[in-house]
Amino acid sequence: MEKVLFAVLTLVYLELSMRVVSAPICSYGQAGCHVPSLADLFERVIQQSSRMHSVSSDLHSEFEQYFFPRKNLIRKRKCHTYDILTPEDKENAQKLGREQLTEVIVRLLQAWGEPLSELYQSMSQDQNQDFNLYSSNKALEISGILHELKDGVTIITEKMKLLGVLSNTVGYNSPESLVPSSAFYTQADLDSMDHHDLLYCFRRDSNKAKNYLRILKCTTLPEPDC
Amino acid sequence: MRRDLRGALLLLLTAAVQSSSMSAPGKPVLLSCRSPEKETFTCWWEPGSDGGLPTTHHLYYERERLEGTYECPDYLSAGRNSCFFDKNHTSIWVDYYLTVTASNALGNATSDPFKMDVMEIVKPDAPGNVTLRVEEREASPCLHVRWMPPSNTDTKSGWVTIKYELRVKKDNSNNWKEYTSGTQTHFSLYSVSPGGVYTVQVRCLLDHGSWSEWSNTTFVKISNYLQNERPLSMLISILSAILFIMAGLILIAKRKSVKQWVLPPVPGPKIRGINSQLLQSGGSDDVGNVLIIKQSFPPIYFVWQDQMEDYLIVTENEDWLSSNSQKSLIPACFHFNSEIHSKESPCHQNDWEKDEEISQVDNNNKPFTNTGYVDFQRHVENVDVKHVDYSRVKEVKRDNILFLEKEKVQSSGYIHFQRQEGIPEDYSGVKEVESDHLVVLQKQNAADLSCKDEGNHYTECALHKPRKPHVCTELSDSGYVDTIPAPPLM
Repeated sequence: MEKVLFAVLTLVYLELSMRVVSAPICSYGQAGCHVPSLADLFERVIQQSSRMHSVSSDLHSEFEQYFFPRKNLIRKRKCHTYDILTPEDKENAQKLGREQLTEVIVRLLQAWGEPLSELYQSMSQDQNQDFNLYSSNKALEISGILHELKDGVTIITEKMKLLGVLSNTVGYNSPESLVPSSAFYTQADLDSMDHHDLLYCFRRDSNKAKNYLRILKCTTLPEPDC
Repeated sequence: MRRDLRGALLLLLTAAVQSSSMSAPGKPVLLSCRSPEKETFTCWWEPGSDGGLPTTHHLYYERERLEGTYECPDYLSAGRNSCFFDKNHTSIWVDYYLTVTASNALGNATSDPFKMDVMEIVKPDAPGNVTLRVEEREASPCLHVRWMPPSNTDTKSGWVTIKYELRVKKDNSNNWKEYTSGTQTHFSLYSVSPGGVYTVQVRCLLDHGSWSEWSNTTFVKISNYLQNERPLSMLISILSAILFIMAGLILIAKRKSVKQWVLPPVPGPKIRGINSQLLQSGGSDDVGNVLIIKQSFPPIYFVWQDQMEDYLIVTENEDWLSSNSQKSLIPACFHFNSEIHSKESPCHQNDWEKDEEISQVDNNNKPFTNTGYVDFQRHVENVDVKHVDYSRVKEVKRDNILFLEKEKVQSSGYIHFQRQEGIPEDYSGVKEVESDHLVVLQKQNAADLSCKDEGNHYTECALHKPRKPHVCTELSDSGYVDTIPAPPLM
């Protein structure tokens, strides 16, 4: 028995000491860490948003197949992010400018933090539906990616400000000074949305976020083939 | 007057007949909408019956975040029964509610509402300008494919990300091999072989939309001429192939010696007194008998049949009698191991008679008891020793004639004798066997008796014969008869 314990301890020690370490990533270039370029950061963030949209799209279509197999239902729904004004085509998005585009992205992401975690909570608690049991994992995953995405966008804005690409009026210096997302919707708005609406709206908003991030990248880092 | 009336009646009738086939139009159905680049979109519908009258169709839509009902801005650009929404009229991430109304002189019909969001209906055009280029390389040819993105997609601004897929098939088979190309507009195929016609198609995908149609097929034929090049290398390869074949044939012809050289024989372990063949092929009681006999019986020498094994020393005495019957011949192979035995004194072989014939025993060196037991062996097969039968000695005449009792001591297995320690065993050669109860033993020389008993009753003796690895000799039936002191069973 002691031998087993010793072996386990040795393995744990080895694991901890010999972990493959790439240089820690930091934004400010402190000693010993590897500073990713803006292009890398954008790449990462766009990948994350793409994944987030993909999972939410799957979740939505599964939901519809499970609950509404005959696609007759036409509902006029209103998403709680309705009041966040977003550009609705390419020209408007390109006209918006980096600062405003960044703000829109940030607002969209912030608006979904709480509703997603509540969605996950209610899905995992609702044991009656098999669908909820199965897909609450996806809701959890989406929630996690969203959280990371928010952090990623924060880092990008900081870096852009550092590089002088973005003016300092944007966002995170004092998160509450700018109009927070919560100003754009009320709890009543959220309560009136059921799971179906939430999934539908999030699918749309994640697609928006992904598109805006890509435009932001391509206008900030001009490349021949963006 | 009547003609006019009839004419009017006829006209009325025809008018009535005609008007009964006319009706309001049937309900049109909205089929699908599609946006090729996420900036414009087109919708198509299917008209219902036209009711026999010229019917017009109108598409009306309502839009999220837009008040009012609007009509289709362009009925023409996309063909019949379609509506094209240009950039100014297209908004992404908002719901459109479309309806088509068919109307003719007799009425209207409206389709069911159709809800769509441009984000969901993205399906690009197929990539264009697919070009194939064959690169001739030494080992095998390779196929480079290049194409252009569809002309209407804007990849430069990052509005959409394009992904490509291509598929290849060879000649006329129906097996397409698919490859993903990511965002590159070129791809190289290395698994192509000369002498075939390759067909390549490419398709693309925007963001999370639907795949486009496959592009037009492009063919390329990879010629065979590579096979004719470099005759020198072909010659070399042919020559080396011939050499290999010859070497292989030589190896096969000499496979035995090769096998000896590569895998030299390994002597197996020997346990004295245990015949591995007996163990493998014999019954369980034989095995048991083998083990039991060690303790109490005179040693039984098993003859080794395996030519690769070495054997304990055995001498061959030229004076042995040959018997009348052939059955008593014991063919045996002896293999002399010169390393084990170094004594030079000859030894008498202890061997058992094969069947129940009796020889006269001659023993003038040792006291001969009146009643002793003669050990027989009954060979079932050539070599293996399985059973031992005993016959009682009835009378001893002179020194070398044994009369055995006619009835044999039946032994199913072995009889355990109480052997008195200290009494040396002695063996005499059987000279002759007459009838079935007369044994004539050989007169022995003292010099012959120089074998020593070992602890386990085996006698190891030096080589008597010149060393030969495989000596198969036929022994006469004149083996040795064991003299046993008066058994307590008497």
